[in-house]
Amino acid sequence: MADRVRLGAATVLGDAAALASRVLGKGSGASIRGQVLTRVHPGAFTSLVKGRRIASVTGTNGKTTTAHLLAAAIRAGLGGDAQRLVTNADGANLHYGIASALAKAPRADIAVLETDERVVADLVAAGHPEVLVMLNFSRDQLDRNHEIKFLARSWRDALQRAGDAGPVVVANSDDPLITWAVEYARRVIWVDTPSRWSADAVLCPACGGILERIDPNADEPQGRWDCPSCDLTEHAPDYQVRDGLIALPDGQVVDPLLKVPGSFNVSNAACALAGAVEMGVGVEDALRGFRTVEAPAGRFSVATFGDVSARLILSKNPAGWAESLALLSTPTVVLAIDAVAADGKDLSWLWDVEFEQLAGKHVVCTGPRAYDLAVRLEYAEVSHEVVLDLAEALRSVADQPQPVDLISTYTPFQKLLKMAGLR
Amino acid sequence: MKMVVVYQSLLGIYGDQGNSRVLAQRARWRGIDAEVVFAEPGSPLPDDGAIYLLGGGEDAAQTTAVRALKEDGGLFRALDGGAVLLAVCAGYQICGKTFTIGGEAEEEREGLGVLDVTTRRGPSRAVGEILTHWTRPDGSDYVLTGFENHGGHTFLGPDATPLARVEVGVGNNGDGTEGAVSASGRVIGTYPHGPVLARNPALADHLLELALGHPLEPLERATEQHEGLRRERFAFVRR
Repeated sequence: MADRVRLGAATVLGDAAALASRVLGKGSGASIRGQVLTRVHPGAFTSLVKGRRIASVTGTNGKTTTAHLLAAAIRAGLGGDAQRLVTNADGANLHYGIASALAKAPRADIAVLETDERVVADLVAAGHPEVLVMLNFSRDQLDRNHEIKFLARSWRDALQRAGDAGPVVVANSDDPLITWAVEYARRVIWVDTPSRWSADAVLCPACGGILERIDPNADEPQGRWDCPSCDLTEHAPDYQVRDGLIALPDGQVVDPLLKVPGSFNVSNAACALAGAVEMGVGVEDALRGFRTVEAPAGRFSVATFGDVSARLILSKNPAGWAESLALLSTPTVVLAIDAVAADGKDLSWLWDVEFEQLAGKHVVCTGPRAYDLAVRLEYAEVSHEVVLDLAEALRSVADQPQPVDLISTYTPFQKLLKMAGLR
Repeated sequence: MKMVVVYQSLLGIYGDQGNSRVLAQRARWRGIDAEVVFAEPGSPLPDDGAIYLLGGGEDAAQTTAVRALKEDGGLFRALDGGAVLLAVCAGYQICGKTFTIGGEAEEEREGLGVLDVTTRRGPSRAVGEILTHWTRPDGSDYVLTGFENHGGHTFLGPDATPLARVEVGVGNNGDGTEGAVSASGRVIGTYPHGPVLARNPALADHLLELALGHPLEPLERATEQHEGLRRERFAFVRR
């Protein structure tokens, strides 16, 4: 009881801080609410994640959209009981953000939690999630790159320690590092997504050998990955994504008919679908839920800035940019780049992205690190100009057909949402 | 003119292939026919390249790359024949006589031995922007900008000279030096990526001049972008 009282008091103080943050125009307040909450009650995260049915979503790319899809699927399954579900829908996915979202919904007995890679081990230990969706694991912020193996090991250890009390893991079978991390999971549902075979994944995470592709066939022309030096190998899938469709374990093939664009979101939806089914939601309900998701946390939303409108696409790392560049459909595009802590301070990944494919378009480079992009585009022989200020960059495309496609790293993206009144 | 990106899947984690894009374009824009070859372990490494590039990577990748390069032998033949090598970060470390891998239990590994340097784990990881001063062959000072991210500290032997002096950042080991150049001047190791040649076009032109054996006219193309980027980075680091 004392714990509950303390948590209640901490929540009130956190709410006050969040309100102050919103009034001062500093953001939604979710993160500050969580910070105050955990300051007043250090065990808040551990207390709040207990006693609920939890489905967690983690991975390098697609966490927010997948968590939104999974939450929508479960809501559709709950019908009139949708208020039983809580989710950290704003993308605040560290201990603070999760605590903040849960504190606001004390009665919600089901939680869908987007979970930062660094929080997964704690969530598994303290919250005993029923389902843990692991999307993909590649280098994200290069200045933190040396943490990758450390993080994968923390997941592996947490799942091993959890043993029979651990979650059912929905795992991307295309990703060797995830395959290694979930080796001790109680049960794994494998989802085969179209290969994004990348330089990151070429060494065997178990033994350091060089991975190979074996058994190519019509269905999977690249074959499946395998380590010739140890036992690690790609597992046979339960769900399979091919040509924008999802094959279910019973062989039935469904079209997710998503409102969010891009083939990568079909992969995210397949993982969300597998997670929803494990949470007890029917496939039809889940698919119906998916169609209510249009602009998760502002991603893919069309925003208005005075006379200009722009479709806002968030990309945070080379894998994300590779996917987003393929979505660009307007002749002039705005690309916004920054490299503060939340974006990753190392921009060298710009050189691993095939900007050459933008030949024929005109790019307005904006944001504090616009010149890094301008150098990259000059070498890619893509027409461009530098307009450092975001608002000015948007004004410069007012004469273009609207909305103009815009891709941004994390920090300018949050600024754009605020400028457009979307948060 | 052939540039060979060596084992990019193992050692290319920090956009290091960008160095080959910069070199090739700066050659092409001057009317020189330039080709970039990506060599991967398991296939013979071309030994007729003019410039070889090694990039950054993890411990396991370093060990695998050294083993594969020694078994292959192509890189050594190319260097004996006068080829130029730019090695960055983990690639720089493996060019030395020895380097170490592992966490708590540090293990020493033999390197390629093409630079007279040794590397062992430093007391803390160096992560961040770095500015150094390189003395160009004509004696002028040129500021090198980049991003360093390494746990190793590198020490130079008598047959290597530092590439540059540190203004801001860590560099080799905190002694004020950064990078290493072989006695022939044709093997250059350095910590910063960014990638380093995209931040420092004069260093790219120096490599091209070494490989071609004659000086090059300055290039107008990309100057505005490079200067904008360098101005912004200098101001940021010196703020």
